Amino acid sequence: MDALWMPFVEFAFMRRALVASLALGLISGPVGVLLVMRRMSLAGDAIAHAVLPGAAVGYFLAGMSLPVLGLGAFVSALLVALLASFVASNTSQKEDASLAAFHLIALAIGVTLISMRGSSVDLMHLLFGSILAVDASALILIAAATSVALILLAFIWRVLLASSFDPLFLMPFGQSGKWANQFFMLTVVLTFVACFQTLGTLMAVGLLMLPAIAARSWSRDIPKACVLASLFAMGSGLIGLLLSYHFSLPSGPAIVLTAGLFYLVSLLFGVNDGLLLRFIPTARHRES
Amino acid sequence: MDVALRLKDVTIAYHGHPAVHHVNGGFETGSLTAIVGPNGAGKSTLLSALAVLRRLTNGGIERHAAVSRPGAIAFLAQLSGINSDFPLRVLEVVAMGAWPRVGALGRIDRHERDAIRQALHEVGLDGFEDRLVDELSVGQLQRVLFARLIVQDAPVILLDEPFSALDASTTHDLLGVVTRWHQEGRTVIAVLHDLEMVRVHFPQTLLIARELVSWGPTAQALSSTHLAQANQRSLAWHDTASWCEVPGQRPARTQEAT
Amino acid sequence: MRQELSRLLSVLVTSATLATAPALVLAANEQPIKVVATFSILADMVQEVGGDHVEVISLVGPDEDAHVFDPSPADAKALAQADVVVINGLGFEGWIDRLVKSSGFKGQLVVATDGVDPIEIGQTKTQDHGKPGHDQHGHDQHSHDKHAHDHNDHAHDKHAKHDHGDFDPHAWQDLANAKIYVANIRDALVQARPSARAQIDLRTAQYVAQIDALDQATRARMAEIPAQTRRVIVSHGAFEYFAKAYGVQFFSLQGWTTEREPSAADVAGLIREIRRDQVRALFVENMSDPRLMSRISEETGVRIGGELYSDALSLPGSPADTYLGLFAYNTDLIWSTLQQ
Repeated sequence: MDALWMPFVEFAFMRRALVASLALGLISGPVGVLLVMRRMSLAGDAIAHAVLPGAAVGYFLAGMSLPVLGLGAFVSALLVALLASFVASNTSQKEDASLAAFHLIALAIGVTLISMRGSSVDLMHLLFGSILAVDASALILIAAATSVALILLAFIWRVLLASSFDPLFLMPFGQSGKWANQFFMLTVVLTFVACFQTLGTLMAVGLLMLPAIAARSWSRDIPKACVLASLFAMGSGLIGLLLSYHFSLPSGPAIVLTAGLFYLVSLLFGVNDGLLLRFIPTARHRES
Repeated sequence: MDVALRLKDVTIAYHGHPAVHHVNGGFETGSLTAIVGPNGAGKSTLLSALAVLRRLTNGGIERHAAVSRPGAIAFLAQLSGINSDFPLRVLEVVAMGAWPRVGALGRIDRHERDAIRQALHEVGLDGFEDRLVDELSVGQLQRVLFARLIVQDAPVILLDEPFSALDASTTHDLLGVVTRWHQEGRTVIAVLHDLEMVRVHFPQTLLIARELVSWGPTAQALSSTHLAQANQRSLAWHDTASWCEVPGQRPARTQEAT
Repeated sequence: MRQELSRLLSVLVTSATLATAPALVLAANEQPIKVVATFSILADMVQEVGGDHVEVISLVGPDEDAHVFDPSPADAKALAQADVVVINGLGFEGWIDRLVKSSGFKGQLVVATDGVDPIEIGQTKTQDHGKPGHDQHGHDQHSHDKHAHDHNDHAHDKHAKHDHGDFDPHAWQDLANAKIYVANIRDALVQARPSARAQIDLRTAQYVAQIDALDQATRARMAEIPAQTRRVIVSHGAFEYFAKAYGVQFFSLQGWTTEREPSAADVAGLIREIRRDQVRALFVENMSDPRLMSRISEETGVRIGGELYSDALSLPGSPADTYLGLFAYNTDLIWSTLQQ
């Protein structure tokens, strides 16, 4: 049992990594669930890639300085999201196509920039992050981004859900709920900016999507799914770090693998439609 | 009588082809009107324009002062436009009707909650507050959406094919709600396919086949002459038709469309 | 009379030709030897040995990391046009075989570490900090290996391929090995330009003398520091040869290559060792990411003593922009930090 908490007692870097992953897990839950429910699972991937060119520029301007990297990442992801939204609104292109187009361009720009000036180690760090290298300022950044994202989410919650259910409802009131969608994209971007420092752009998507998808196997109710997803995500952080510690695995991927395990277990045993549950005789039902 | 919504030379076109062509007229306050016509006649297009969901290519829609505030026009889209597999609770959906009053971020207080419960009762869904929307049948979902309309308490209510694919019992109950709205003096406009229902329940009818065929008391509007006229109108798009001359626009050609 | 004139003419033409021919050949020979070195340290050595007779390009530049270098088409082109290519060997350049093949290089390939007695990975304590406690040996034998002496018997053929992880490639961190590097480079240059032999040999001799002097000085300085204190933390295991030659114990986070990402276990292990052995000096490296080292420094309370130059020279104009400069700089820095 000591093995579970001794690493965190003994080492400050483990404690910081844990706090970081708990904060990230907290915000990843609801954002991930909303992405899944709005059929935007791949949009998460897109935003994750879209942070790369901004982060690359930030890196060239200031090295591995977290605030500058974070700002660059934020700007480029936001740019991609806004451009995609603009094109979708004003042409016949649907948003998934425009988002795909812009994020792939952004990704290529990012990789080109890094190859020109940096080395592939830098690219690796941006793609895979380094949760073990989280320092005090990075923690503050993560905490700030997470808090702002949570507040935003609470703010737009009702409108976002309503416009997901019935996009036309708000239009006669002149609002169209588009602003809710844009704020939601802002939330997604913030979440990624917080995540990619620690987990890198590739792995961050894993923490966002896997717990959310897993949670859906247990509850269709949205608030409940959000809570569950957060728990899964935070649990993945904790367990992943422990795995990295005890079995010498790279930390970012270990966390995402754990999230993947949550998903597989949920897939098999989830109350809603678990694969293996089909072999169990049907549950009882009430009288009519 | 006041005119709630007046249409002036309304034209709505897609890619240069008119879906609604030069429609003029007005919906009187408190009227109960059915919009009917062959498929592709522009009915839903016209309705969404009334709901300020669509831009007009030409002409204008005047709204009476009482109907100008946001939320004064309640619109029920066709069921296909709704993501019914999004698991909101019935209570949350019906509560959406209160937003024009409360704002999307406002609190739903007891007063509103009572209104919601009352609305659910009216549509025959007592006790359904906590049910998830994606579990409901089509009929139940439509009742929920009607409950939302009730909560909205709007002076003008627009319904786009509200009874398609519904069972008789639901249709009957919801027609009852529509009748009650009419009795309350609300202006109700519905796009419908069932001419029998229209003849029985809707005092006014607007018959359209891209252009206005007839608009007035149902018996006259749906006379056999008018119906024949509507059916005769070819509703395919004419790629070779001349461009319509519109005052104020530079005409591409000078002939009127056939 | 005509016969004598024509004979005179032929003699004149012949002598003129004979006189100018060597000049022409000499002119052709004055084109410098085109050398491509894989990284900046090698390039510097080649420059020292070859002087004006060589034109050197370095594939991996100053402050860059050769372990994770990704060659570009421009590099292949440079290789194709080169007369001599100098590589470190011992698995340092995991990407060089592919590059040589794809460039169609047909010149001389020199492995600088030919003849070097390599350290095996895992042989020394610092590459494997999962293992528990290790007591301190004398200052010149800190590795508890049993087979160090066997390596003298190994015959390495010229193009032996070593799998990644067999041998530690950072042999240049021992000045004695540098002399072997220089000798190999010298041989290659002389083979490419026999006419320049005398000058190359002269430069080599001068360079070797400098290396020797620095070697003596380094040994002397390190010996000034008590054995217990001669412990240092670095980013990656680049200094084992230095450790072995000059009696300093290096602890590192990343083992012999920067390709692998350190796990929490690696970080924890290093911190534990630092605490247990009371290591007082911590350095970042010029081509590595300093963030993790900063965290370790914070957590252990060991101040960062500065930046060591492990696998690459620094930019021109800074203290470590030549190989000898690099070595002297590193030694100074380690010495002064350990003094405190």
